[in-house]
Amino acid sequence: MKLEIGRIKIKDIQFGDRTFVQDGVLTVDKEALAAFLKEDERIKDVSIDIARPGEKVRIIPVKDVIEPRVKVEGTGAGFPGVTTKPSQCGQGRTHVLYGAAVVTVGDIVGFQEGVIDMWGEGAKWTPFSKTYNLTVDIKVVEGLDTHTHEETVRLAGLRAAEFVGQAGRDVEPDEILTYEMGGIFEETAKYPNLPKVLYVEMMITQGLLHDTYIYGVNAQHILPTLMHPNEELDGAVISGNCVAACDKITTYQHQNNSVILDLYEQHGKEINFLGVIMVPEHTTLTGKLRASDYTLKLAQMLGADGVIVSEEGYGNPDSDLLMICRKCEKAGIKTVLITDECAGWDGMSQGLADTVPEAVAVVSTGNVSHVVTLPPADKVIGDAESIAVLAGGWKGALKEDGTLQCELNAVIGSTSEIGYHNVTCREY
Amino acid sequence: MVKEIERYGIPIVHMATITTISESVGANRIVPTVAIPHPVGDPSLSPEDEYALRKELVGKALKALTTEVTGTTHFE
Repeated sequence: MKLEIGRIKIKDIQFGDRTFVQDGVLTVDKEALAAFLKEDERIKDVSIDIARPGEKVRIIPVKDVIEPRVKVEGTGAGFPGVTTKPSQCGQGRTHVLYGAAVVTVGDIVGFQEGVIDMWGEGAKWTPFSKTYNLTVDIKVVEGLDTHTHEETVRLAGLRAAEFVGQAGRDVEPDEILTYEMGGIFEETAKYPNLPKVLYVEMMITQGLLHDTYIYGVNAQHILPTLMHPNEELDGAVISGNCVAACDKITTYQHQNNSVILDLYEQHGKEINFLGVIMVPEHTTLTGKLRASDYTLKLAQMLGADGVIVSEEGYGNPDSDLLMICRKCEKAGIKTVLITDECAGWDGMSQGLADTVPEAVAVVSTGNVSHVVTLPPADKVIGDAESIAVLAGGWKGALKEDGTLQCELNAVIGSTSEIGYHNVTCREY
Repeated sequence: MVKEIERYGIPIVHMATITTISESVGANRIVPTVAIPHPVGDPSLSPEDEYALRKELVGKALKALTTEVTGTTHFE
């Protein structure tokens, strides 16, 4: 499977009377975009705005972030199974408006949405302070049930990214990245002496608006499944999560999954990267036992020597993470875990909800409970008051002068467990 | 909490969905429950069946509470 990602570098976003890219500037026709989104009769009102790196702008509550793209060769246009008909992702050529992002904003449905600050202290904590953000704030018609409300807003964000992505169709990319990997037997014949490594990506799939979708299938209903890494890099996986903002994997982060990109980088050099096992995180013990057994079985069938496991969320999924770790290690498969920690305001509490002695190689991506103080913004896109009901916020988190005090929990992407974030570790 | 109350001398039953965590913390009497969002209920059942399920779980917990144990014991 061969995928070319053509990066068109975006240095600014402006509004204009048509949507196009010229000299790195993305111009968006906001009336046309709003009209396109309002084709969905469940949408009452759309408010579109721009937030640039360095501007004293706060975006809250953020539901999802999406990279605008367009498929220019091959199948897999849009988000197959969600916004477009089912078709194969991961091949052909996709043009990316690199440096731009669509940020979906809307009324709180689930309480675990997040904040993006484009400047100062807040900007340090979220990777989406560095993107030129087109914010799409959606109001839905009255009378929708909560799940339909959430679905409407999420779909609007994805469709907005597709609409804007079209601007890159006929633009010559500044850079073309190629992701190519043959069948597992073929690659193993090429690199017989390299250790075979699988990526195990856990996904929040716990209902109550905590779901992840693969080609439109709610992953809550799947057994762990094998994917070619190109598929996730090309729009096969989307976020439907109202899970804590700090470590929810936004659609943008699926499209740019750092673990996949890093393993790809080492493929054929240090490792033989076999592929990705997508693992649902269930709410029952039976589900967790079954998914972890099945993950081990797939890893054994594929002859993996090692697995890298990333978690999504924290708390009960810590037990899934450790079940996978224990089972793989006992079967002789080396395991590295990537997780954040819920270690209290002082960082002194046990980081994970469970422990096993087999977890000997763990990468921490930060403490979700760490408290930050974010100075007042000149402009708020969305609703500043919503911090009172966000995970990581509380009543009184918004001070009278507009200062926001909250846990990293509420900051989008601040402790990303796939490593798409700003926090690093240093040993002294 | 389970450990501290028991240390004080009051027997305690841990009703929990993820019993592997109960084992890690060293709970002695464990009653497995339904699911994380609804530990002692099941919204997919009729109200009558759900009541029966809840009654059964509480019954198990009371039985566990009055049973002598020497270490981690599951009451399935």
